Amino acid sequence: MNYLYFWYIQILSKYNIPKIFGDITFPILPFCIVAAAIIVAVLFLVLAERKILGLFTQRKGPNRVGIWGIMQTVADAIKLLCKQNVDPRGADKILYNVAPILVFVPAMILWGIIPYSSEFVFMNFSVSALLYISIAALPVIGIILAGYSSNNKFSVIGAIRSGAQIICYELPMMFVLLSIVLISSSMNLKDIIFSQLGSFSILNWHIFPCFLGFIIMFISILAELNRCPFDLPEAESELVAGYNTEYSGMRFALFFLAEYATMFVMCAFLAILFFGGFLPVTGKYISEMIFSDNQFLQLFIYIEQVIWLMIKTILLVFIVMLVRATLPRLGSKELMKFSWYVLLPLSMLNFILIAIIKFIVDGGAI
Amino acid sequence: MIIFNKIWALIIGHITVFKHSFKKRVTLEYPEQKQVLPETFRGKPVWNCEKCIGCGICERVCPAAAVKVDKNNDNINSYFDLSRCIMCGNCMYYCPKHAIRLSSEYELATDNKNDLYIYFNKSEGV
Repeated sequence: MNYLYFWYIQILSKYNIPKIFGDITFPILPFCIVAAAIIVAVLFLVLAERKILGLFTQRKGPNRVGIWGIMQTVADAIKLLCKQNVDPRGADKILYNVAPILVFVPAMILWGIIPYSSEFVFMNFSVSALLYISIAALPVIGIILAGYSSNNKFSVIGAIRSGAQIICYELPMMFVLLSIVLISSSMNLKDIIFSQLGSFSILNWHIFPCFLGFIIMFISILAELNRCPFDLPEAESELVAGYNTEYSGMRFALFFLAEYATMFVMCAFLAILFFGGFLPVTGKYISEMIFSDNQFLQLFIYIEQVIWLMIKTILLVFIVMLVRATLPRLGSKELMKFSWYVLLPLSMLNFILIAIIKFIVDGGAI
Repeated sequence: MIIFNKIWALIIGHITVFKHSFKKRVTLEYPEQKQVLPETFRGKPVWNCEKCIGCGICERVCPAAAVKVDKNNDNINSYFDLSRCIMCGNCMYYCPKHAIRLSSEYELATDNKNDLYIYFNKSEGV
């Protein structure tokens, strides 16, 4: 963040604002950026999902509010904000109110861990990959609390299913992450991205040695996001809406926001682990070719890196939506069986394979 | 081998769904674009008072008791209740003089229930 920090201080000093103001406000800026980005991304994603599902089923999707229905999600958000918050009778009031916050906050932290460009990392820890995975598993606590405190059968069943699901799919995910960490010999997400930098551009990406791992990770992420075909916790046809049956108004909006925010950030995580994150597909930065000898060249490169990451992420989100349009929901038992009998052994096999490949490529040196 | 078949089926399924995105949309934006109706569509019934002989068959065959025919000598009064009508078309099929026809009018929503009661008189017309 050093470059951005000096840039920010420079801009402030132009307008005779003291440096201490910059020092205080600089750490707050990322929070504001993340909050704004989440809302824009979620509004975009909800509309995109409805439009894309319409595309796959030969419908038009929302097309009434604004041009091509682009204001539909804004209208929905206003409706949810104006709605009454209903507390069901017999509900545990405190837990009932805390649960949506517990689901939403981890999603927001995840947005902070993602490296958007080589300088634009809000929280840069040396073990950020591990931190990411552990925080990504946190929303399930909120979901279980929501189910427990609603005083509703369907909510409890949905919450229990969600808990069972996360235990099943966290383990294969960890094994795949372990194999990625093994290849790149670092747990820092930025270092993982830079380890995919090489003379072969695209061929250096981790997806090529670890394609099996990518498939396992993708499936696990679908399960962790409670999306089709693993949307058992909120199975509409069986459980009304699962854990958020009793929620209305802004609290429901928080669940909704968290779901889509996590979906986007998980796809960004996949892009970072397997598709080179913010590294360009072309091998060389386009802004480097266009603006050579420009004093703002470095800044343009940072912006371009963000755009590359977004393109990869949006493509992955598209695939997630394609999966939702194609596959039916799994049974609860099948889901567990699939995880313990298929995914876990495969992920272990993948880990061993990667270890052998690494051993051979490095010439036997440990 | 079975596993490979399953994976292949999965891939084919996704490709099939993806192909749908290049096909023509089937959604019609209703008030601006309307569906093309088939010729045999059964909508709001229309009376031809000139042809009616007041035999009352339509009253007898109507399963929803939406039609009522009154015949006093030459004067024929018929009452029709659209709120009861189920658009089965029995009256049209059984009418010996083809005095009733089911038109293709289907936009029958109204906020005034009196619009749904129709009264015919042979000498006066509708």
